[in-house]
Amino acid sequence: MVMKIVGIIFSPVIALIAGILMLGMTRKVMARIQWRYGPPLLQPVIDIIKLFYQKSPSHGVTFGAGVIISIAGAIVVFLFLPIGGLAPLSEGGGCLLIMYLMLVAPLGVALSGGEGANPYVSIGISRKLILGFAYEVTLILTFLAVMTQYGTISIVKVVEMQQTGRWSLFSWPLVIPGIAYLLILPAILGMRPFDVVSAPQEISSGPNAEYGGKYLGLMTLESGLSEFIGIALFVNLFLGGPNLWGAISSLQNSGLVVFLGVIVFLVKVFLVYFINILVQAVLPRVRVEQAVKYLWTWPAFIALVGLIIVWAG
Amino acid sequence: MLAVILIVAFGGAIISYLVGRKSSELRNILTQGIWIAIVGLISYAHFIMPVSSVYYPDFLGFDLALRIDSFSWLFAITIAGLGTLAIIFSLSYIKGRERENFYYLLLLLVSGGMMGIVLSGDLVSLYIFWEIMSWSTFLLISYSRGKALAAGLRYIIMSVIGSGAMLVAMLSLYANYGTLHFSELPSSLATASPTYLIFIFLLFLTGFGIKNAILPFHTWLPPAHSEAPAPFSALLSGVLIKMGTYGLIVVFYFFAGAKLFLSLSNGIWSFHYILCALGAVTIVIPTFIAILQNDAKRLLAWSTVGQAGYIILGLTFGTGLAFVGGLFHFLNHALFKALLFLAIGAVEYRTSTRDLNSLGGLIKRMPVVFVATVIGIGGLIGVPLTNGFFSKWLMYKTLILEGNPFLAFAAFIGTWGAILYSYKLIHNVFLGQLPEKYKQVKKAPLSMQFPLVILSTAILVFGIFPGIAINQINNISTALGFSPLDVSLWGVVSDTGMVNTLNILVAFLIVIAIVWYIFRSGAESTRVSQADSYTAGAPVPQGKYNYTVDFYNPLERMMRPYLRDRIDDLYSGIAEFVKQLSNKTRKVFTGYVGTYVAYILTLLAVIIMIQLGWNIW
Repeated sequence: MVMKIVGIIFSPVIALIAGILMLGMTRKVMARIQWRYGPPLLQPVIDIIKLFYQKSPSHGVTFGAGVIISIAGAIVVFLFLPIGGLAPLSEGGGCLLIMYLMLVAPLGVALSGGEGANPYVSIGISRKLILGFAYEVTLILTFLAVMTQYGTISIVKVVEMQQTGRWSLFSWPLVIPGIAYLLILPAILGMRPFDVVSAPQEISSGPNAEYGGKYLGLMTLESGLSEFIGIALFVNLFLGGPNLWGAISSLQNSGLVVFLGVIVFLVKVFLVYFINILVQAVLPRVRVEQAVKYLWTWPAFIALVGLIIVWAG
Repeated sequence: MLAVILIVAFGGAIISYLVGRKSSELRNILTQGIWIAIVGLISYAHFIMPVSSVYYPDFLGFDLALRIDSFSWLFAITIAGLGTLAIIFSLSYIKGRERENFYYLLLLLVSGGMMGIVLSGDLVSLYIFWEIMSWSTFLLISYSRGKALAAGLRYIIMSVIGSGAMLVAMLSLYANYGTLHFSELPSSLATASPTYLIFIFLLFLTGFGIKNAILPFHTWLPPAHSEAPAPFSALLSGVLIKMGTYGLIVVFYFFAGAKLFLSLSNGIWSFHYILCALGAVTIVIPTFIAILQNDAKRLLAWSTVGQAGYIILGLTFGTGLAFVGGLFHFLNHALFKALLFLAIGAVEYRTSTRDLNSLGGLIKRMPVVFVATVIGIGGLIGVPLTNGFFSKWLMYKTLILEGNPFLAFAAFIGTWGAILYSYKLIHNVFLGQLPEKYKQVKKAPLSMQFPLVILSTAILVFGIFPGIAINQINNISTALGFSPLDVSLWGVVSDTGMVNTLNILVAFLIVIAIVWYIFRSGAESTRVSQADSYTAGAPVPQGKYNYTVDFYNPLERMMRPYLRDRIDDLYSGIAEFVKQLSNKTRKVFTGYVGTYVAYILTLLAVIIMIQLGWNIW
């Protein structure tokens, strides 16, 4: 019970902090790759605080409500998605519920942005939904492969089973869907070469074009959270969540186990994210059709092969 | 009691037609009164069921009967509820259009026919009501004439084929067992050979499957749904096509029984598994086609085909969870699809178009319709806390845990495709820029808002308290021999995992409250016009910045070549061939007496020749 309350309070807070840090990390690492000094790591925090003190234009009730629903949807995901040993409400619904909760945030943005009536926003949302549909095919296949392999729909059970065995990414046959997930990860995170949604030089940041002030602040937070969700899922499903070859779970103190578990989990998340930043740094943006074509061919094919092997085996 | 319901329904239809010739106000009150009374009667029937009554004893050796049990009650209450709402919606929708009386007569006849189908206790009564429903549906679909007439014709041709198949099945059953009574058929069919069962199943599958629009019998549905008057589209999509589902459940689970139905196989392919695969295909292909549609009602119609696939998949998969999920999805689909059709009807009523490429920005003009549409779309996608989430969750779970990830994949794709087409629907109608010509659009009339409010409330209630409906459905599935589920008001608990809407609800409420508080405490925002921030106040030509045309252009360009409806092409080809053949045959009849005399003489000559040559007669 105590763990539950601790989880309910800390999971979203950890997620928010990690999400903001990820945004700062992108800018810093990109800058270093381009031989610049770059802004401080906490620049996004400063920006968001500043944004909350700025006046902003609004286009109506849905314009604000959509933003609120969107960020609330992103936060609620973390009550059901395990972060390390913290998984306050994860017993109800499992992977299926998480997949559905992940929809709330984009739908909120889509409703809010739609009322803004800016054509760039509409184009951005249209691209976002197309891109989402493209990578979801692979994502669903990998989810199904993991759930079928472990015979459960509970994400906590999936993490537990990797504790005793090997991490899914390094075990046969889940390595195949794992690779497929890695291939679509930039698309899930909206990073280059798949940053067609925001595409600042083409469509003025797409869905974010109309936002200013606190709206933009909340949307920045939301984008950080979304990126964190995409990687946290990967870490939970394929990198064993908080597991470190049994090193942590063998400790006696349960509070310490959870604490170290969260730390290990975050380290894994940031490592995966770092790799994606490197990918982003060297690749140019593709067009939407090219993105869809790519996502529906290689990753989907690999994931399908993985699912067939899991299903037959 | 049951006969009273049907007498009220059909008698009411005729009386209100007669009354309507004198006074249209009186007729409107009467039609609503009749159907509200029927809702009351059906609700009352809940407490006295199961009950059955014979209304025509000893017809060809068995009794014609009416009956109601928890299974048919679920359908009856849905029909009564949606029927009433459709009639209320019609009040302003149909006002001032031609042949109002005729419209109401048919609407009441269709609803009465459906009620008759679910209350029938034998196949003969079912068939009679089935035909009443089918023919009044035909007249209603073609109510607007023009394109609607072609759509109606397409419907009735397929419908007649389906009825023919049903009739053959019924005759065969009667010839073999001498009864068509629901309670006597199961014991007779228990000893039937598998081949005979499959023969009967296939015939009924044709009959009911055409109504249910399972692939490849779906081609009538998109034109019919888009051309029919909006309140009737809602009924059509909400309950009428589910009469097919009802029939299939009766045949598979009541006549044959779950055990027999699920064990039917030739060793490699089991019959119910083929139906599941058919359901999966019915989910995926129409979903992709729906994304390409630019007519709001046509989009919803294709979506209906896809969602009917979920119901078939759930009902034929053969586990308790799937059956409950499928039947719950029937109820949910009836609610959210009726809502969406009515909402589009309200938009069409005010703007007289449903072309997704020319509408836009109506959110400020029709706020109630917008909110209702958002809720309906939530149900369609299955966003948590709306009803669609729970029924789909049950199906996914059992599909995955029973080791059928590919069927689950089809079901998931259907959902993620639904996000695309339903956002297109809501964006192109309500969001984006408001075209100049719709600046003066007024709110939807109250009689249109009322059904929308009721339906969206129902969607949320069943989404937050799924236990209300699941409990009822669980009884049905238990009675059919599936293992019972442990149902609470908030969800389902089972040994393989549970889902609890209470957690989700509380989590959302608290988080939204916190975020809202933070949002409030930020600096104020000022309301600006839509052109203001985009062009920084510079004057722009109005209507040039409306990004609704070809909303998913990149995707459409990729998909369109692959997504022609080949089945429709095939049917049209056959129709064209028959037409040309008939044209050629018609040339025989020249209209000159001389030609006919020549035919007769030739025939006589041939007969005489044959007789002389071979001496047959």
